[in-house]
Amino acid sequence: MEIKNSVALVTGGSGGIGEAVAKFLAKGGARVAVVGGSQMNVDRVVKDIRDMGGEVLGIQADVTSEADTARFIQATLEAFGKLNIVVASAGIIHDGMLLTLDKETGKVSRKMGLDKWQSVIDVNLTGTFLTLRDAAEAMVNGGWEGLLVPIASVNKAGQVGQINYSSSKVAVALLPKIIIGEFLMRGIRNIRCVGIAPGYTATRMLTEMKQDALKALLENVHIGRLIEPDEIATIIGHCVENGAINATTIEITGGLCYPSGVAK
Amino acid sequence: MKDIVYNDITFVIEKNDGGWDISRKLTNEAIAVVGANLFADLPDGEARAQALIRTIFPVGIKLVGPDVAHPNRVGELRVVGPDVGHPNFVHWNEDSTSCSKLT
Repeated sequence: MEIKNSVALVTGGSGGIGEAVAKFLAKGGARVAVVGGSQMNVDRVVKDIRDMGGEVLGIQADVTSEADTARFIQATLEAFGKLNIVVASAGIIHDGMLLTLDKETGKVSRKMGLDKWQSVIDVNLTGTFLTLRDAAEAMVNGGWEGLLVPIASVNKAGQVGQINYSSSKVAVALLPKIIIGEFLMRGIRNIRCVGIAPGYTATRMLTEMKQDALKALLENVHIGRLIEPDEIATIIGHCVENGAINATTIEITGGLCYPSGVAK
Repeated sequence: MKDIVYNDITFVIEKNDGGWDISRKLTNEAIAVVGANLFADLPDGEARAQALIRTIFPVGIKLVGPDVAHPNRVGELRVVGPDVGHPNFVHWNEDSTSCSKLT
């Protein structure tokens, strides 16, 4: 498959990794639908891609909504006539510990609220599921060659303080294996699925951290720096063009290791 | 260049060398780009742009899923099934300006 003349849809495309992917694909000649939760940020990315000379569409949507998912898929098909590349990059973090103990009594003083757990599962996992499901439906019914790319995380290995996030991302990382197994059973041979599991990436969330905290994070990264969003976009571009990459999740972490331990 | 008011938003549809651009006017008089260089080699680009606006910015309130394509209608309202008594919103295809005000 080629990026040039493909149609791509990127959820979470209005910031961070998703924005970099949307712009990378547009530069490569794809027509791009940018989906994001913030209309203002969607507008900004669409303007940037328009200024690059790209063919682009922006849609504000909630990825946890079936109706919104149907809407942004339909809009993409109306605008561009087909769908080939779908990158499900929409994701959130609401960190917290399962239990917090009172230092004096040792009793539980606080526990993770269901809303904190559910919100992350809804966006990161259910949102990804809805996007991939409806995109795959469109691709199969349209007869188009396709690539589905769910964005997981290296913290699929598990991270304290991220029971919700890690749980969502390990499930996302598993999706390609299940999807391709089902596609094989159904005789769907022209749509691949490849997950991407980034490590610490230079998005606003990390670049705006206190420098001491960021430095501490990077001590366990072999290359000693954050991953650039463009580096993740490049890997996705390669996955588009290399038809042998399928049914797996690729880690791009710069060599993130456990403290005094092996790579995650 | 054509201005269209839909869903209480003013959209601008304009042809350029690369295709059709769709923008919308913001409350502070600024312009936000909805889509750019669309329908370059297609006929009826302007009509397609208008239809696309309606898809991206649906009016009214929606009764959501699971069957968002259900054919049931009640007058101008499309009630999407299967549970027509569902407390979710009802999808309405008409622009607010096309309906008479309640007296």
